[in-house]
Parts: sequence; structure tokens; C-alpha cells
Amino acid sequence: MRVVTEPEYKPRKAGPLEVAKAVFWSFLGIRKRAAHEKDAVTIKPVQVIVAGIIGAVIFVLSLIMLVRYITS
Amino acid sequence: MEAAHGHGYGHDEHAHHPSGLMRWVTTTNHKDIGTLYLWFSFSMFIVGGILALMLRAELFQPGLQLWEPHFFNQLTTMHGLIMVFGAIMPAFVGFANWQVPLMIGAPDMAFARMNNWSFWLLPPAAILLVTSFFVPGGATAAGWTLYAPLSTQMGPGMDLAIFALHIMGASSIMGSINIITTILNMRAPGMTLMKMPLFVWTWLITAYLLIAVMPVLAGAVTMVLTDRHFGTTFFNAAGGGDPVMFQHIFWFFGHPEVYIMILPAFGIVSQIVPAFARKPLFGYSSMVYATSSIAILSFIVWAHHMFTVGMPAASQLFFMYATMLIAVPTGVKVFNWIATMWKGSMTFETPMLFACGFIFVFSMGGFTGLVLAITPIDIQLQDTYYVVAHFHYVLVAGSLFAIFGGVYYWLPKWTGHMYNETLGKVHFWLTMIFFNVTFFPMHFSGLAGMPRRVPDYALQFADFNMLSTIGAFGFGLSQMLFLYVVVTCIRGGAKAPDKVWEGAQGLEWTVPSPAPYHTFEIPPVVK
Repeated sequence: MRVVTEPEYKPRKAGPLEVAKAVFWSFLGIRKRAAHEKDAVTIKPVQVIVAGIIGAVIFVLSLIMLVRYITS
Repeated sequence: MEAAHGHGYGHDEHAHHPSGLMRWVTTTNHKDIGTLYLWFSFSMFIVGGILALMLRAELFQPGLQLWEPHFFNQLTTMHGLIMVFGAIMPAFVGFANWQVPLMIGAPDMAFARMNNWSFWLLPPAAILLVTSFFVPGGATAAGWTLYAPLSTQMGPGMDLAIFALHIMGASSIMGSINIITTILNMRAPGMTLMKMPLFVWTWLITAYLLIAVMPVLAGAVTMVLTDRHFGTTFFNAAGGGDPVMFQHIFWFFGHPEVYIMILPAFGIVSQIVPAFARKPLFGYSSMVYATSSIAILSFIVWAHHMFTVGMPAASQLFFMYATMLIAVPTGVKVFNWIATMWKGSMTFETPMLFACGFIFVFSMGGFTGLVLAITPIDIQLQDTYYVVAHFHYVLVAGSLFAIFGGVYYWLPKWTGHMYNETLGKVHFWLTMIFFNVTFFPMHFSGLAGMPRRVPDYALQFADFNMLSTIGAFGFGLSQMLFLYVVVTCIRGGAKAPDKVWEGAQGLEWTVPSPAPYHTFEIPPVVK
């Protein structure tokens, strides 16, 4: 007799674009509930930390570019 | 959130611990240590408050009446150091000790013995600070920012302050390690990170900030120490050093420190507002995101404290823009609290009064912060009473109001008795009114040009100063009422139910009041 087992549910891993989107909204401090719930299962903490650091560097660089443009 | 635990709390036979003084010296219990932190913090609040009243007494009228100028500078310096490191920070650690394990369903903190050590480092640091008044030359008078070259010139009082900061820094770092480890490893089954109460989230982020910046402060004051005694010239221009470098290093610590003192306050308010609006917190996840965002931004704004020191225009613009952008996540938080209240069934018990007072008055402090972020305005207002008004609006009406709110919110859980609601409300209104009488006029005296850290001032500032001093004494005396309410609540009062507040959510309300000595030995299951 074959035992039928339920296939184990594995949430898919989020792609870089989705992580970037989540981090962008987190910088603003806003996130839709549905999108947040999706993030919670698909995005891993390491991804958030790496994307957060990259986001912070991009943020600083863009501010530097802006002030250079203004003062040049 | 629902919690189920198959554990009766009707008996307390686990409470076999030493009694008397040794209970407190040797305790590894998170509730005992939380209590120690809170009482320590209150004692330092009184000491720092007395120093503040000594300052205000001198400033009641123009001219020198009570203290000579050097002693006045010692008072301002020690008032700042004691309030920041002795009162506000330990109070939040006290809350973390009591509440974090109760809120995540953990039996205790992860490193219980280190927890004891973290606390017991504080009294020696406090003794160093307070006794420094009695050494030759008196306490350090360099301002709480300890700027070089002032700090490289003071007498032995400066060395005592440096050692005190070292000790308190070590205590904070150990406390943070404990909090992070507890939160990441000891949550009840089913409590995912995104189900944690917001107070726990804000403390997790605050603990990372502390670990990141306390070593920076320790480095800065150690360099001051070696400049003073071991022939180095880190901050001495004559030896190739740079006094401005001290300011950069100090504020790289100092600005995140500001958020260390406010993020847990945000957490407490985020617990209180939903409970008394009887609605879940609006935008929970955006609150978590906004807190992380504020924490990251706090590292790239430090030089807004130094606009008048001199820096390239591009740097001024960078720090000005970055500073103003912090208003975005902070605004998100304020709007979320208001949205939580929107159409809620609100009642205004004392914790809610303090939370509403916090939102109202803290926002005013936030707005004056935005004014000061604008470089050309800051250059006008640098070192005036406007700055004094600004940071007391965020640190007193922000951190301290949240601490009072949190004490009234959880006191019935801690003591098992209800506090006197009428007296609590009187305490709130006296605090709110006298706070504004004290600090609101400082905006005007600052705008009119009154410099801070001066024992004497020109005649045109006399009326505002007299008003501030009257307010300060009223504010100080009102806190005696707080002490009375807390002590009477500990000694007796109506029995508090398990779930003290009708709308309160969370695991701490599933255990009896007072919370038994040991809780959650069998972890609850969070659904």
C-alpha cells in the first residue's frame, strides 16, 4: 500500500528585487499588510541585513551626490 | 495573540531565595534585577533633579547669588551625566529586565549571572560620579559632552567621571548582549519575530545601537585619559592632535545615544496606546520598519551637533538633509499612534494620559529639532536656551513621560495592587503643566539670545528665567507625589486582576498579579 503524504510546504525564496522593495519601504517606514505578510515568509533575515547595508550605502552616496551637485 | 499555558500559578513554592539584603546582592532573577534598576534610576533621578534645582535657583534672578561660576559649570555637567547615564538609561534597562521575559514567554534573561553583574556595576559608577564633587577642584565642569580641551585640563574629578563612564558602558554592553540573546533565543514557541510586542522590538534595536556606540564613547574618554596622564596628544593641537576630532568621535556615539534614550520610550507608548484605545496597534510592521530606519539614520547625522565648528558647505548640507529625513520615520510613528486612537473606545487612565502627553509634547520637541537641523538657523541658535528647550522636550517629555506611563501601566502587575488613580492623574497634570512652565519659556529666552551653561545673564532674560525656575521647582516637587503613589501601591491597595487593563494584549497579562517570582518555566504556546 502506498502512503500518501502531504507535500511539505516550502515558501519560495525572495528574489533581490523583492528584498530591495521591502527595504526601500522600510526606509520610509511604511508597508502594506499583505506585502509585509508575504515578506515575512519569503525573505530571510540575512537578506534583509545585507540589503539594509547596501540600501544605507546607496542612501549616503545619493545624498553626497545631491550636495555635490548643489554646491558645485 | 492567544496564549495557553498548562501551568498553575496558585502556589509560589519556587520562591526559595535568600531574604534580606543578600536577596538583592546575589539575585539572578530578572524581576529582582528589574526592580533594582528602577530604584537605582529613581535615586539618580532625584540626585540629578536636585542638581537641576540648584542650577535653576541660581538662575532665578540675574547676578550671582548662590554659586560661583565654576561650581555652576560642575552642576550643569553632572546634571547631564547623571540624568543620561544614571536615570534614563537604567530605567529603560529596568523595564527590559522586568518586561522582556514576561512579554516573550521566557523564564528569565539568557545570562542571569551577568545580569546581576550588569546592575551591580552601576552603584560604584554612581558613587564615583557623586563623590567627584568632593575631590580637589570638584567634579568635571566640561559639560556632559566632555569636549577637549576642557576635559584634558580638569582636575581629578574628570578622571572619576571617565572611570564612571567606562563602568557604565561595560554595564550597558553586557545588558545589551543579555537582551539580544534573550529575545533571539528564548521566545515562546509560536512567537515569531513579527509577533513580538513592539516594546521588545524597540529594545532589540536599541540593544544593537548600544553595542555599536558604547565602545566608541569608551574609546573617546580613554583617549582623553591618556592625553591627561600618559603624554599622548590625540586632542592637543600643539602635539599634532585635533580637538575637533573629539567632537566627531563623541557625537558619533552621542547621536545614536539620543535614540537609545527614545526608542524604548516609543516601545512603551506603542504598548499603552492600543491598550487604552482598545484597538490593535495601527501599522505594526511599519512601526518595526520605522524603528529600524531611525536606528540606521541615527549613525549618519552626528555632525549636526557641530555646525558652528566649521566644515565644508557640502558636509553641512549632507548632515542637514540626513537629519531632516529622520522626521519621515518618526512622523510615521506619530501618525500610527494617532491612527491607533482613531475611532477607538478610549479611556484616559494615568498610563494613557502620559502616553498622550508624550505624543503631544514629544512632537513639539521633534519640530524644534527640525528647526535646529537647518544649518543657517542652527548657527544662530547654537548653544542658546533654544537648544536646552529642544532636548528637554524630547528627553523629559519624551523619555521620562514614557517611563512614568510605563510604570503606571505595569505597576499593578509588578506589585499586585492598583495604584491610586486619582493621585496618578494629579501627578500627570502637575508634571505636564510644570514641565511646560519650565521649558516652554526657554524657547523664547533662547531665540532672544540667552546662551546656555551660564550662571548669570543680561537683564532682558529675567522674566523668562524666573518663570522657568518656578516651573522647575513645581516639577521637582510633583515627583514626590509619584514616589508617594508608587510606595503606597507597593504597600497595599485594591487587588489587581491578572489582566489589569481591559484592552491590554500580551503574555504578561496571562500570569497572576503580582507576577510570581518564577514565570513561564513551562513555555506558553503562542498561536
